[in-house]
Amino acid sequence: MTGVTIDHLVATVAFIGAMLLFIGLFTQTLQTAILYQQNRHVSLKASDLLDNILLSPGYPYKWGETNATLSCFGLQKPGTSGYVLSSFALMRLTSLSGEPVEYPRDSGKWYNNISLGPSGYLFIPISDSINYETASRLLGVNGTYGFQLSIAPIVKVSISEYQSNPLILKVEVDGPGFPLSGAALSYYFYRSYKTGNYASIKIFTDTAQTDSAGVAYLNFAFDGASETYTIVVYARLSGLFGLGHYSHRTFTRGGGVMPFVVDYEAGKVYLAHSWDVHDQGSPVPAYAFNATFFILTEDFDFQEWPIANSTGILNYGVKNYELTTLPVGCPGFLLVTYRVSAIEYGISIMPWGIGTLAVSTLFGDNPYGNVWTATDLRQVTVDQLAYQAKITCWSLQGYQIWNPTG
Amino acid sequence: MLRTIEISMVILILAVAFIAATFFAVLPSPKQISSPNLRQLALTTLQVLDVDKSLTEAIFENPTDPAWTDLEIALSASLPPNIVYNLTVYDITKSSGDALTYRKFHSITNSESGLGTDSEASTYLVMSTNVTFAVTPQKISGTLYILNCSDANGWWITGYTSQSLAEDLYNLLSPYFNTTIMVQNTTDLGHILDGTEISSLPYENVTNAVIINTCGEAVPIPSAYADSYPRDSYAEYCYELGKRVNQYNWTWVSIVGYPFFYVSNTIKLASSDNSWGIYGMRMVTAGGLNSFLRGLDVENYPSYSYDGSWITGSPGVVYFSTEAYYYSNYYGIYPSPYQTATRALPSWIQGTYHTTVTASVFNPVSDRYAAATFKHTGTGAFTAIGLTRTPDIRITALSLLMYYHPIIYKSEFTLTAGERPTQRLIVLQLSQQGGS
Repeated sequence: MTGVTIDHLVATVAFIGAMLLFIGLFTQTLQTAILYQQNRHVSLKASDLLDNILLSPGYPYKWGETNATLSCFGLQKPGTSGYVLSSFALMRLTSLSGEPVEYPRDSGKWYNNISLGPSGYLFIPISDSINYETASRLLGVNGTYGFQLSIAPIVKVSISEYQSNPLILKVEVDGPGFPLSGAALSYYFYRSYKTGNYASIKIFTDTAQTDSAGVAYLNFAFDGASETYTIVVYARLSGLFGLGHYSHRTFTRGGGVMPFVVDYEAGKVYLAHSWDVHDQGSPVPAYAFNATFFILTEDFDFQEWPIANSTGILNYGVKNYELTTLPVGCPGFLLVTYRVSAIEYGISIMPWGIGTLAVSTLFGDNPYGNVWTATDLRQVTVDQLAYQAKITCWSLQGYQIWNPTG
Repeated sequence: MLRTIEISMVILILAVAFIAATFFAVLPSPKQISSPNLRQLALTTLQVLDVDKSLTEAIFENPTDPAWTDLEIALSASLPPNIVYNLTVYDITKSSGDALTYRKFHSITNSESGLGTDSEASTYLVMSTNVTFAVTPQKISGTLYILNCSDANGWWITGYTSQSLAEDLYNLLSPYFNTTIMVQNTTDLGHILDGTEISSLPYENVTNAVIINTCGEAVPIPSAYADSYPRDSYAEYCYELGKRVNQYNWTWVSIVGYPFFYVSNTIKLASSDNSWGIYGMRMVTAGGLNSFLRGLDVENYPSYSYDGSWITGSPGVVYFSTEAYYYSNYYGIYPSPYQTATRALPSWIQGTYHTTVTASVFNPVSDRYAAATFKHTGTGAFTAIGLTRTPDIRITALSLLMYYHPIIYKSEFTLTAGERPTQRLIVLQLSQQGGS
């Protein structure tokens, strides 16, 4: 009798233990499979979302060139097919990379800041920009998936000062995987000088070629430290196009003349005195400026385009800004050179359309804190330049979400 | 003891089941869960490299040409560092029986050990930049007459002359007709109206012809017809025109504005002006169009009578119809898909003058057709482009082609034996390295 009881007890304990063990094991296998399926679904969603964004021009058709309210989101350039993106649609996206700027100070008017490095500015009114929530809602993923979209040039053209006197500039041309050896370079050198009361620019163009390491040295017969200039270098190799720019100025006591796009649809731009953006203390300098717009032609050349109020003096308290107008829908860049004193000159550059100065765009939400994200990428062109569009996507639903607060 | 043995057997069975399930339910590696879409990446890489046709030019070069080295560098530079590639180019040639043969031409890769089984590939078909090909449109039966009268002025063709418009129309439409004749003066127009051929061309036929009036709102008038049909400021002449359209089964085309609003003959009407200072022209007013439509519907209006009422409307901006979008692509004619119409014909003329609207270029607005062909139930048709000035002659061409819709026969490459292949297929195979 005792033996039978022990037999029963041992059998029952062993059975329950085995059941618990195997339930755990099978559940783990099933959970891994479900997790795999859900992650796979996010991955497919990332690919679909990227194609939806890149292969549709959105609606209204040319929303990138207007202040129109969107009813359909897409970045494809109107009238084209394939992965060709609108330079202006990209410009209307609220950037995730730069801190918004208030102009004038304490006015409550905020501008989307797409950072371009020293002397490069692109400020678009936030009220005219398309934010992530709008895009997410129009793409039908609001509350279900989060995403971040990065549009960056494939070819990186980096320019740095290699030697000051005489000036030698070092140009490095790289792709994400390899340097571009033997790339043909064309460059436009804009040098500031004085004419009458205002600063003016002299334009010099030439060509060069990168060596086996993707590097080229550009020689100039003057002292770079005492000159104010901007150089735009355009690199090309077997269908790959890239562009870079670099500015140097002798005036370093303030921001100088800062262009602000105040009416996007009409192309109206304020050439603003920097004191309205950053108070850099007294004395407040006056800027005698000369603004020039260069339009990008179909054969990738920059041609001068006359604009209104291209010269003037910004004297804070007397004249805080000057209004000019850029041609809507015509990509190019605005170059403003200004004179502060006999030895102090400055220069500012603003792209009009993302592609003309190979500007990168980062749009969307921050993926930080999400347990699993999927990425996908495509090669695209913006204003003939080769770009890479990369999406990072994550799920906002399901048990696999790790909630940091709870 | 028996129970323990039984339970042990159950545990054994469960263990075997678990091992079996684990063995068969193999989950893919994390890399496969979320690898970039390599197929799309390959395709877009090829498209980017071919943005200025550099890729096309390179792959038609000899494999020793430096263009191939540049292509290798560009490929390596444009792809992420963890992606390896193999680009293979195939010649496409026609063998006997029109069968296509693919033969490997050249291949480049940056992977010595191969791409493995996880690779993805995209294909891209390119044509040599020196390829010529033929487009053979079906010919519309009937002669195309383009009024290019040197002794008539135009109106509402601001920025153009009727002669320049005639030339553009000739270039656009002559491939679709067996015979195209420029009517050089009003005398020749008079001959056509009399049913007489004006050239020695073998295929000229006055019957079933298409006549395009390039003078805009004015219509050339032969001197003899000015003498014979002068009533109501030559509205009677417009009635005669309508009758001839019906009689010879013509398609009469008005390119812009209010049709038949003026008549023009710089010799006969040298002392008249159109009320706006243009001599050689006389204002008929709205009665011209009504008279023409009555002439077209001659069975119901057997004799001339005058009606001076204004019948066109101004619907404003009008948009391409679905049919127009289709034919715009089909014939490769791309005017703006939205235009401003201020002289659009009303729908009711279908009932009044026994016509049927066909080939409407724009969607009707408020029952008005900005550009369409009104086909008479008997014979004859009237194509009216009621857009505002200045005229876009491509709308006229598109409207006529929509009405006749001639077939475009498939292009054939001019490839001859011994020539270098005109088509090559590029296969770009990508594989992701690293990860597990």
